[in-house]
Amino acid sequence: MITIGFTGVVQTFHGRPIFGPLNERLTAGQITVVTGENGSGKSTMLKLAGQLLSPTEGKVIARDGDHELVQAAFRSQLALVTPELKFYSRLTARENLQFLLGLRGIELKDDAFSALLERVGLREKDIRQTYTGEFSTGMRQRLKLAALLASGAAVWLLDEPGANLDAAGRELVLREARRGAADGKLVFWATNDSREEGAADACIHLSRH
Amino acid sequence: MHVSIFQGIKLVFGKELTAGLRFRAAWAAMFMFALTTLACVSMAMQGGGLDPRLLAALLWVILFFASMAGADRVFADEDTAGTLLALQVYGPAQAVLLGKMLYTFFLLLVLAVFITPLFLMFMDCTVTAPLVLAGTIFLGTWGIAAAGTLIAALTTGASIHSGLFSILMLPVILPVFLPAIFLTTGAFGGDVQLSYLGGMGIYDLILTLGASVLFDYLWFEE
Repeated sequence: MITIGFTGVVQTFHGRPIFGPLNERLTAGQITVVTGENGSGKSTMLKLAGQLLSPTEGKVIARDGDHELVQAAFRSQLALVTPELKFYSRLTARENLQFLLGLRGIELKDDAFSALLERVGLREKDIRQTYTGEFSTGMRQRLKLAALLASGAAVWLLDEPGANLDAAGRELVLREARRGAADGKLVFWATNDSREEGAADACIHLSRH
Repeated sequence: MHVSIFQGIKLVFGKELTAGLRFRAAWAAMFMFALTTLACVSMAMQGGGLDPRLLAALLWVILFFASMAGADRVFADEDTAGTLLALQVYGPAQAVLLGKMLYTFFLLLVLAVFITPLFLMFMDCTVTAPLVLAGTIFLGTWGIAAAGTLIAALTTGASIHSGLFSILMLPVILPVFLPAIFLTTGAFGGDVQLSYLGGMGIYDLILTLGASVLFDYLWFEE
């Protein structure tokens, strides 16, 4: 079972304090949300959890049982839906997924691709020949969710995944996050939506310095 | 599930090729730079004969600077488009490095195959040792691709990316550049010293291995 521990984590940018000291433990099989006003460091905390950023002070350690997960071992367990994650604009949805999932050793067959698109509410006939650069923001968000679901990753980092989605899309994200947690995924979710916060098993609130 | 290194390299190479062919800016920049330089040199010489050493230097200056116009973009384009994060999260470091290096090598080889016959024709140059020329171009472009890919990764995100790339590239590539000129001089009618080919091959191998060792640090830098 994967856990991510924050021990005495302090984060500053160019000397400006963002948050800390923070001592938290994220656990697989549950949804942990991080809330706080804009600039309080929610996205930064997600990046720290994903080992995409080093803390100014303290330690962020991911473990699978007794084994510490670092570098490639951790990254192969990671999937994200964040505003910074972008697809190749001159590749189609299928080409993007085939490439990214292929790098994880996952082959995306026709049936699986169709089922995946249906699961995230994208219509295959609408996007078959379309480059992702021509997608709407909501469609891109759904495709990010598709990549995450198909990746088989054990750690899900979601940074306001409901942003740019319609009501059905936000419902989809909630449903998939709950299903993911039930399947034993570690779901870490940055949000300011009270409904999403209400669906969480644990909550971390960051206050602005 | 894990992808084999060969499958990973194939995927990265295929993605680079597909994206490169759909958005031909890097290709166009390199080929137009090479053609323009060649046309300028050819017109300036007005059919006058040149010493083989000067011809060899001219050919490699064209190839080197044309490669600067395209090879530096392998990581910068990902950074600008915002796709670097997806690649970092999903892509194994070595597959990304070697896939991109292979693509750059392929791009430079195509450029060399395109520009060298035109150079020979416009500069009225005779090749006395075609195999030496072919071997030199192969090893020279491999060296530029290996050094270029690593330095492109190092300089990604720098505010003066292009300037920094060229400045860092020159000292790293000199051990390839100078023997390439000596060998090309030989292929154009001068003395051929085949030991330089071995030296270039060893240096290319060191560059590739060095890039491979260093890249993990860059890829997992937080």
